[in-house]
Amino acid sequence: MPVLQVARDVPPPAGDVDPLVPLSRLRVGQAAVVARVLGRTEDVHRLEEFGLRHGARVEVFRQGRPCILRLGGGKVCLRGDRSLKIFVVPLHAAR
Amino acid sequence: MPPADLPADPPPSCSDPLQVALLGNPNTGKSTVFSALVGVHQRVGNYPGVTVEKRTGDCAWGGRRFSFVDLPGLYSLSPRSRDELVAVEVLLGRFRETPPVDAILCIVDASNLERNLYLVGQVLELRLPTIVALNMLDVAEGSGVTIDVKGLERRLGVPVVPMQANRGVGLTELRETLARIDPGCRPASPGCFPPEFNREITRLMSLLSRPEPASPQEESARPGRAGFGARRRHRHGRRCRESSIPEWLAQRVLLDTGGLVQTAVFPQPRADLDRELQDARARLGEAGCPIPNIETTARYDWVRRMLDGVAVQPSEQRTTASDRVDRVLTHPLWGALLFVLIVVMLFQAVFVWAEPLVDVIGAGVRGVGSWLTAHMAEGALRGLVVDGVLGGVGAVLAFLPQILVLFLFLAVLEDCGYLARAAYLMDGLMVRVGLSGKSFLPLLSSFACAVPGIMATRVIENHRDRLTTILVAPLMTCSARLPVFALLIAAFVPRRAYLGGLLNLQGLTLGALYFLGVVAAVAVARILKKTVLRGDAPPFLMELPTYKWPSVRTIVLRVAERAYSFVCFAGTMILAVSILVWAALYYPHDRDAVEGPFQTQREQLERRIAALAPDTPQRQEAAAELGALEGRIAAAYQRQSYLGRFGHAIEPVFRPLGWDWRIGSAVIASFPAREIVVATLGVVFSSESEGEMDATKDAPEFHARLRDATWEGTDRPLFNVPVALSIMVFYALCAQCVATLAVIRQETNSWRWPAFAFAYMTALAYCGALATYQIGMWIGG
Repeated sequence: MPVLQVARDVPPPAGDVDPLVPLSRLRVGQAAVVARVLGRTEDVHRLEEFGLRHGARVEVFRQGRPCILRLGGGKVCLRGDRSLKIFVVPLHAAR
Repeated sequence: MPPADLPADPPPSCSDPLQVALLGNPNTGKSTVFSALVGVHQRVGNYPGVTVEKRTGDCAWGGRRFSFVDLPGLYSLSPRSRDELVAVEVLLGRFRETPPVDAILCIVDASNLERNLYLVGQVLELRLPTIVALNMLDVAEGSGVTIDVKGLERRLGVPVVPMQANRGVGLTELRETLARIDPGCRPASPGCFPPEFNREITRLMSLLSRPEPASPQEESARPGRAGFGARRRHRHGRRCRESSIPEWLAQRVLLDTGGLVQTAVFPQPRADLDRELQDARARLGEAGCPIPNIETTARYDWVRRMLDGVAVQPSEQRTTASDRVDRVLTHPLWGALLFVLIVVMLFQAVFVWAEPLVDVIGAGVRGVGSWLTAHMAEGALRGLVVDGVLGGVGAVLAFLPQILVLFLFLAVLEDCGYLARAAYLMDGLMVRVGLSGKSFLPLLSSFACAVPGIMATRVIENHRDRLTTILVAPLMTCSARLPVFALLIAAFVPRRAYLGGLLNLQGLTLGALYFLGVVAAVAVARILKKTVLRGDAPPFLMELPTYKWPSVRTIVLRVAERAYSFVCFAGTMILAVSILVWAALYYPHDRDAVEGPFQTQREQLERRIAALAPDTPQRQEAAAELGALEGRIAAAYQRQSYLGRFGHAIEPVFRPLGWDWRIGSAVIASFPAREIVVATLGVVFSSESEGEMDATKDAPEFHARLRDATWEGTDRPLFNVPVALSIMVFYALCAQCVATLAVIRQETNSWRWPAFAFAYMTALAYCGALATYQIGMWIGG
């Protein structure tokens, strides 16, 4: 079960050399930096206010739907929907 | 943009306390700080028209009086629901009974400074005297974060007080800092927005400072709210209405694409404002400042500037104690097993620990009742006091132990941080019903009693999810249905065993009734989420707070507060309805008409008893006969009462369910609480033979009596299996419980939802009973 609907039809932005992967592809314990959050403007804004935004460091604590992420010194439980897509740049391999 | 200073301020007024608003993210220990500051002198209420709890408290120190208002936990001042709008409206001073805010105390979680300072940035835009309480410093240090408090204070330009609120550390400093507040001081605005944005704000402010068309209806159309004009107390307690809109409010109106702030501040539609906002947002979008995302970009940039060199994050995320606990508690297998264990304990607590307390209260109420019966003259007053008032008080008190035990349990789970993990574990299940994991425990608690279950829905932030949960919670089979089911199953469902005694029909029937409640709840929840409570489901985002030892003070206060609010509101309503139902069953109480036919027989018996020597078998026999007669008289009174006559009149309504007027009246009389129907049936069906008796004590006899009951004037048995099943199905689905309806009113702050719950559940119950009886007769007949 993917964390968030994997959108294979949404290609990473052209000219971006970073290897963007959907958040759902991260393994447990793997840290990453959020590259972009796509979805309804309102939802994206809400997530950004919550700290889940471009440049934020995340780490998957539990995979699945909902998943648990480490974010900004705490943990959050997140269940997105079809329209919400979060792309990250993995920092290093899982510990 | 500060307005021109008003000349000649009046001398400081000592009568007005300083109004301080507490603001902060959820899980920052805000309520702990609030409780520590005001102690037990807190008041809990509701804001007019919304479901948000309003918590206020007064206290004094350092020669100054303070009045605190604890605003709901927020991640941002940009509101997305009416409930979130409350914080903005309080800061605007738009609630008549909440005076304008003089100063803000912002509680900040030191272990998650970045996100918390986002809100601080928004608060600083208000340019009100602000204090930042840097809470949970110990947790931050534990995870390797170091914070230069003095440096942060210099950067922010407002006092920063380091704290550990749960241990009382830093409270004295906080009090001293509060005592030093200068209500006239206006901290500098963070100024984090780009010039393009600021230009639009200046334009917007000049548009909004033009006189607006004021109409008297608009003020009266929004009860409890002051009209526009950002009521603000200016300097030393003087209140004034500023003619222009404050800069932060202009920002909020421009950034709030949902339009909530705009409609709250300008209830009258203003075409010029709509056009201007649309144009401004379009211009900003072209200039590379898309609304609303410009706010997060600009503010997080500001946060980074504030924290640069002041807070040092560890390069590697440290594994904390919370992480180690979470490895077990959120584990798909071990976490789930522990959750089941906790749920079993919770049930055990509500059913078993609360039971002796319920018994003690019941015995006490009965004791007082019999004492009053013995010492008061017979008549309407005694009936009112014993059956109406005392019956109502007893019903209210009977709920208290369950509320206390359940909330004690939930408060401990919530305060230590487990509740969010439970919601995580159950989310996968609840999402199929269209709800989130947060609805699980309130619904589960409703199997014990819907009243505390509905009160527990306050943890659900999403308004639609919360309403759906409240509306389906009464469908869960609560303990008050058990006496009804137990009576009818024992009397009418045959004792048939299957699989060598492993299963029996009576147990299966009870199980099916529980199942029926769950199925109905799932169906209703899905329908509600697709119709009345339809709406975009935002992504489910929930913080898992750091585990901590629960604070006794917080828990005691929370439990006491719930119990108090239940007794005060639901209590009065339950009492009122008990009195009404008593009156409907008592009046017209025409003594001659009812007792006349029995008079000669009664006098004969009384003469016989007086003539016989005490302790002889004949005398006992006569006394029993007299008791039976009194029972018949009681039943005759009930038949003659307004409720009895009403039941007679609407018998055709009950006929398709297989009920006669006696069952119908008993069901109507059980409106205050379902279990009352057992006692009422006991009275109604006492007339044919032995007389009134205690339906719970003389069970086999009562069962036989029900089986012997016939349709009036015929030999046709009244009860058969389809009739018994139809009554049980009715009770599984109906809303015959005033306490539940009163609590729905209390929690939703409106009569609409209890009326809706009653209407849909009664319709569901009627249709369910109808189908059961008709299908039962079709199969059986």
